[in-house]
Amino acid sequence: MRLLSLLAICLLFTSCTKPEPIHNTQSYVFGTLVDITIYGEPEAEAQELAAEIIRDFQELHNRLHAWRASEIKSLNYAFKRGNLPVTIEPDVAAMISDATALSIQSKGAFNPAIGQLIHYWGFQNDEFKPIKIDDLSIKKLLSNNPQMVDIVIQNGKASSRNRHVQLDLGGYAKGYALDNALQTLRKHGVRNALINIGGNIIALGKHGENPWRVGIQHPRKPSAIATIELDSGWAIGTSGDYQRYFMLKGKRYCHIINPATGYPTSGIQAVTVLIPPQTNAGTLSDVASKPIFIAKPNQRAKVAQEMGVENFIVIEADDKIFISAEMTKRIKWTDGATAKYVTQIQP
Amino acid sequence: MAPLQSMLRKFSLNLKKSLFNQHPKPLMGDWLIILIGAISVFVMFQQFWVTAPATKFKIRQGNQIIGIFDLNQTRELHIKGAVGESTISIQNGQVRFKQSPCSNQYCVHQGWLTRAGQVAICLPNQISLQLMGAKSAYDSLNY
Amino acid sequence: MKNRTIVIHATPEDHQIAKLTALAIGLHMIEAIIPSPLPGVKPGIANIVTLYVLYQYGFKTAAWVSLLRVFASSLLLGQFLSPTFMLSISGALLSLSVLFIAKHLPSQYFSVISLSIIAAFAHIAGQLIVVRFWLIPHTGILYLIPIFCLAALIFGLINGLITAKLFSQK
Repeated sequence: MRLLSLLAICLLFTSCTKPEPIHNTQSYVFGTLVDITIYGEPEAEAQELAAEIIRDFQELHNRLHAWRASEIKSLNYAFKRGNLPVTIEPDVAAMISDATALSIQSKGAFNPAIGQLIHYWGFQNDEFKPIKIDDLSIKKLLSNNPQMVDIVIQNGKASSRNRHVQLDLGGYAKGYALDNALQTLRKHGVRNALINIGGNIIALGKHGENPWRVGIQHPRKPSAIATIELDSGWAIGTSGDYQRYFMLKGKRYCHIINPATGYPTSGIQAVTVLIPPQTNAGTLSDVASKPIFIAKPNQRAKVAQEMGVENFIVIEADDKIFISAEMTKRIKWTDGATAKYVTQIQP
Repeated sequence: MAPLQSMLRKFSLNLKKSLFNQHPKPLMGDWLIILIGAISVFVMFQQFWVTAPATKFKIRQGNQIIGIFDLNQTRELHIKGAVGESTISIQNGQVRFKQSPCSNQYCVHQGWLTRAGQVAICLPNQISLQLMGAKSAYDSLNY
Repeated sequence: MKNRTIVIHATPEDHQIAKLTALAIGLHMIEAIIPSPLPGVKPGIANIVTLYVLYQYGFKTAAWVSLLRVFASSLLLGQFLSPTFMLSISGALLSLSVLFIAKHLPSQYFSVISLSIIAAFAHIAGQLIVVRFWLIPHTGILYLIPIFCLAALIFGLINGLITAKLFSQK
């Protein structure tokens, strides 16, 4: 019974936490969980600022929504009808141009123009149900060949040379929102914060004396596989087959669709990328993992290099882990046994 | 008890003498065992003290904190969410989504959470469980 | 009814076991009284006797002494079949089985100090198994494993040194 009392004592100790000047707000935006942590600011101000950021997110989400009335939905409608160019907001124009550049850089592996395919697979929904897979329909959708470069933006107006271009910024908006939020925080003089939108995280400053530390989710367990320090301005993002997917006949169909095949990517569990400070670090943390995720296993390092990603981790379907040399220096595996599955890859 | 006492006295005298008179020298193998023991203790500290086991957890529904609950209890909680009622089960220092009205049931498949920092989220029902402890290994989770 | 006297012939070996067990029980009692700085962490000085007997009289006697000590002490302390007793017996059993194997280590390299440390680790392992799967199926127990193992290393070493000194005495 001494063990019991020892346990009680230890539990007592661990439950005594020092109060910290830390504010945390959570909300559901972008169809996912948003978590804002602000350190070292007066509680009232932090709370107000977090609420403002959440409002900004909600507004952005409403404007970019791919399947409910939104600016993007209207634009897609115009594309489909083959209408004359329609006026779009300057920030939407900037987003489309930026997404187009990234799409070119990824050689089409990142392609937000495949809204039709995403819709077909049932991922333009709040919840995902198995669909009836018809190879012919997919082939047809694929042959429409919607590309970002089909979109023409001139004098604040947008049109598409291809009627089948249907924008879905689902793989872009969250990262973009991170960059915006960081700007908002800096504008208000906040020095330390951590913003998490559905797993995509950007850091500002530190958590007190120490850098912010984030856990990287294990693709198949409810725990972190590793932790990593996120210095100020760094962003981290993961593409995984475990957050949005459906199961059909024992096979997993994840939401990351390969634009080249029209089918969900298989044979891989997760790709995590770590992006150094830059104006669009958040965006890159959202976008850059996808081309690596979609690439053939022996092409991943090359694709990472093309996307300018030095820090990345790949977890293949067979639990084998591949990690870039740069990332090795930063990662801390939570379980010592993980290391035996890890291979370092040279770009 | 008398013989026992005398025996104890003799033993303790012997012990005293032996402790202060001569020095036994550990052999090569002994040093090896000590080394292995020390390394394994070190490794165990690293393994088990990366994160503290959580003692409490927080339930949130939407933007609201429903409450902070102790993990040291056996209990079921019923929380109303965006699409219906979720059942959360607490047992032996762990917590999980037991039932959920959502169609994908990702939250239920997450299983038991035990360590500080672990999170289970039901997006459709907008309910999250977050385990708390003095020594969480991280501030936020990338997924 | 006829009176019958049952005569039990105690061999010298039985006497020896009895004496040594009594000594071990004494040490066990002392330890039960001494308040430990950390509950659950005990020096296990009674194991000195087990090790001493192992070297002087062999494994069989050591096993007798060790197990008798656990049973008798728990009876004396009123803990028989209580969780404390279960912890003692599981620790003693695993510790003995490991000693049975470890005794075959080449003695020119491995002295009683090695065996003491190994036995201490086995002892704590046996206890932790009972704790984890029966007494406290609480995940919080994992957190304590390193502390117990550190204690096992330290006390195993000290007990081993004491036993080694007892031998060098001779």
